[in-house]
Amino acid sequence: MKESMSTKNKISRIILYVLLGLAAIYTLFPIYFLFANSFKSQKEIVASPMNLPANWDFQYLKNAAEQINLLPSVTNTLIITVVSVALIVLVSSFTAWLMVRHKSKGSQVLFLVFTAAMLIPFQSVMYPLVSLMESLGLKNTVGLILMYGGFGLSMTIFLYHGFIKSVPVSLEEAAVIDGANIFQVFFKVVFPMVKPITVTAIITNAMWIWNDYLLPFLIIGNNRNKTLTLSLYYAKSLSGQYGNPWELIFPAVLICAIPILVVFVFLQRYIIEGMAAGAVKG
Amino acid sequence: MEKYYKKWFKVLIIPALVLFVVVILVPFIMGLTYSFTAWRGSYFKGSEHWWGALVGITNYLKVFRSEKFLSALAYTLKFTVVAVVMKNLVSLALALMVKNVDKGKGLFRTIYFFPNLLGGLAMGFVWSLIFQNIFSTVLFGGDSPIQIPFLCDMLQDPNKAVFAMAIMATWQSAGYMLLIYLNGLNNISEDLYEAAAIDGATAWQRFRYITLPMLMPSFTIVFFLTLSSSFKVLDENLALTNGNFGTRMLSLQILLSTRESTPANYGMAQAQAVIFFVIIAVISIAQVMITKRKEIEA
Repeated sequence: MKESMSTKNKISRIILYVLLGLAAIYTLFPIYFLFANSFKSQKEIVASPMNLPANWDFQYLKNAAEQINLLPSVTNTLIITVVSVALIVLVSSFTAWLMVRHKSKGSQVLFLVFTAAMLIPFQSVMYPLVSLMESLGLKNTVGLILMYGGFGLSMTIFLYHGFIKSVPVSLEEAAVIDGANIFQVFFKVVFPMVKPITVTAIITNAMWIWNDYLLPFLIIGNNRNKTLTLSLYYAKSLSGQYGNPWELIFPAVLICAIPILVVFVFLQRYIIEGMAAGAVKG
Repeated sequence: MEKYYKKWFKVLIIPALVLFVVVILVPFIMGLTYSFTAWRGSYFKGSEHWWGALVGITNYLKVFRSEKFLSALAYTLKFTVVAVVMKNLVSLALALMVKNVDKGKGLFRTIYFFPNLLGGLAMGFVWSLIFQNIFSTVLFGGDSPIQIPFLCDMLQDPNKAVFAMAIMATWQSAGYMLLIYLNGLNNISEDLYEAAAIDGATAWQRFRYITLPMLMPSFTIVFFLTLSSSFKVLDENLALTNGNFGTRMLSLQILLSTRESTPANYGMAQAQAVIFFVIIAVISIAQVMITKRKEIEA
């Protein structure tokens, strides 16, 4: 009786691992597919899409890098992402902190308004936003960063707000009594304590901004200062009038994915934990 | 301390306030207003100012008579239902399985999560070849021993394309939803299961009467996230079908609307954008209220 139970257990465990393994293969397949087809000619991609390349030809990657203007595109995307994320994290954490600490009607209403704004989809405001930015002379990279700042605010303030509520105020009082100014209190006392949410905020916002297509499309368009995803989009749509140029698309997509892959490999622990923490708090 | 915070609150809240007002509040109000005008993007028809170009609810009437808008709305709803169900089932099933293994938990979580980080548009191009080639000729069509016509040429048929886009969207977001479900599962006390096992509850009963009700908070989050992200979907739509073959959804419709009329009718596009907002707000609020109530009942 006991033995049959343990065999049954063993079998169900094996089934479990097989199912999870299959799901993992399925999840990774598109990435393998992307990788394998980035070194093949159009003909080879269409003829044998599943196989590894017959010979590893880097000319397609090189060509794609030229087509999407790799260096300027990456630099642009990097600048936009880093500055926007820094802006979002700084402003949101500061604002959320003061909102939690200063419990007036005004602060509560403000928090409610910020949170409610999460319901506004980007598409609902994009046309007037672009027109407003144009009239302010901000239809450029600076404007783009400010817009990401505005759109990232609601969600990030919400995250920090939930977390800071559980941070005791006594340390801050002690720091003030010791003569620290408000910035010292924030950066030396508060900011280190909210680190888990900062990680979450950085990841969610960075991924969104790095991969975003719509906002740069509306603001930058087919201009010289294109972001990576936008370059990819134009490279595809301009050369794809007669069928899809897979030998260009695959290496180009791979180039866009490599920075993310590298970051993920090094920071996967923080990323997974940060996302899980953010989900619970959110 | 209260006074100290109050003093600084008024000053240091300004950056957030300015960003919010300029990027969200003002465009939002502009959008509402302009949807009642003959807005052409860079000018107002027949006037220097918006108040001179008011046209009442003409734009809205036009929108509700527009074949393209109505079909995009219906198609978006269809996609949302399919995608929400698929994302929830897959992520919950995976979470339950991951919860029950002792080794490799972290590895599985990491693998399933990874697609979440990749760009939807970029990976959409990759998936379009997967659907066109791998699904249609290697796996489920061509000379394959498994013949499933439904999974072949999915991108050329609106009914199949809903599922194709949902498959890709699920692939991309299931790993994130899994993290939320897994968190919920880990918060359920083992004692409950032990007590139920002593009382002779079957596996199904334990799932139905312990796991499901205790997971309600996670459901609220996952439903909220999947519902709104599915309704707003753009990348999959753009990359997989480009809205062809009657597969255009609302986000893409709003984007293309201004390009399909000459002169570009931004007033009408904005009316669609406002309707889009109202639907999302109503769905999200209703959904959170309903699940919160369920949470309390359970």
